[in-house]
Amino acid sequence: MRDDLNHSHDMDRPDGHGGDGVDRRGFLECMAWAGTGLVWVAAGGILSSRALSQAAAADAAPAAGFSFVQISDTHIGFKGEANKDALGTFEQALARIKALEPAPAFIIHTGDLTHAQKAGAFDTVTEALKGTRAERVFYVPGENDVFADGGKEYLGRFGGPAGNGWQSFDYKGVHFIGLVNVLNFKAGGLGSLGPAQLDWLKKDVEGLSSSTPIVVFAHVPLWAVYPKWGWVTDDGKQALSSLKRFGSVTVLNGHIHQILQKVEGNIRFHTALSTAFPQPAPGVGEGPGPLKVPAEELRKVLGLREVTYVPGKGSLAVVDSTLA
Amino acid sequence: MGAALVGVLAAPAWALAGPHHDGPDKMAQMVAAATGSPANSLVEIAKHKFSLPTVTVPVGGTVTWRNHDEDVHTVVSTTQVFRSPGLDTDEAYSYKFTKPGVYQYFCTLHPLMTGTVIVK
Repeated sequence: MRDDLNHSHDMDRPDGHGGDGVDRRGFLECMAWAGTGLVWVAAGGILSSRALSQAAAADAAPAAGFSFVQISDTHIGFKGEANKDALGTFEQALARIKALEPAPAFIIHTGDLTHAQKAGAFDTVTEALKGTRAERVFYVPGENDVFADGGKEYLGRFGGPAGNGWQSFDYKGVHFIGLVNVLNFKAGGLGSLGPAQLDWLKKDVEGLSSSTPIVVFAHVPLWAVYPKWGWVTDDGKQALSSLKRFGSVTVLNGHIHQILQKVEGNIRFHTALSTAFPQPAPGVGEGPGPLKVPAEELRKVLGLREVTYVPGKGSLAVVDSTLA
Repeated sequence: MGAALVGVLAAPAWALAGPHHDGPDKMAQMVAAATGSPANSLVEIAKHKFSLPTVTVPVGGTVTWRNHDEDVHTVVSTTQVFRSPGLDTDEAYSYKFTKPGVYQYFCTLHPLMTGTVIVK
């Protein structure tokens, strides 16, 4: 799949603006995999990849823009063979965040803060994140954060005034929406948002101009990454239908512990690396779950993401980096 | 629930029939001998699957689930008859079935993992 990165119509396209005449078919051919050490940047409707060092030099946010960080699947409490020091790699990710210039405006954590919801695990995450210079941290839950008590502790801490965990806010012209798709799992079922949240979402974006950039974040991918392994939100399509009229929609998910990307119309999907352990590529091997890699390879498959918004550019720049 | 689990964790499935359970367990074993289904069953959890999608035990029989994955799993009845805590690697949970019936269950973290216990 790495070969896909070399599609000439993606790699060699000049730093295009506007997105008119963009070859959507080409995007779809090139969707999906991004290898370690490369970053994908979405700007003006064009996805392109560059080496990390180039990206770091080129992506300093101008004064009017801002950047934020997405971290995901910290799995505090994990002690398996796939990473004997999940706390250590989480702290390494935090060190990377602290070193960012300019400092991110805020941090989004896309769920699975904890591995097994053991006592103290949420505190470990929130306390550690206080050490970054970000003004705020926004959370959405993963299934590992809510399974033991139906979300009672999570929602008590992070559920917001309504206590349901979903949320939206505006920051410098960008509208952010956090969705919860890991509550009330049914036997044989998949991630779901539920009718109440879908109604809320519809109303939430009703008054917005279609030119408002939208960022959606949720734990389980909102698109069908691999339904056989539960890597899908069964009513994700309904959520996305409320967002179709917007010119720029960026969807940030976690859950699958690897970077996958897809573009569908004006919607760009990105799944993130974990800071704790990798998982197999969709359908590879007998099932999902922590994947043990050679010790020297581990930090190459863990990481974090920086997203930068530049007014007038249309799309947000999404830069993934590993802990290696 | 946590306290109850401690007694069960890491105990071999066949060690679960403690002295204070002798009466019913002996009866279960007698029933098992008569019906041909073992009094106790062990279901292994590995690679996001239950090793036995369906197990049959007599009334009074115990089913133990043991997790071999590095993911956390649970074993939760769809009708809330039984509900394990999160089972980390090598942790186990047992439930003793005292009423006949068909019990569907699933993992609340990975709901595509489903299974059935038949008690008769």
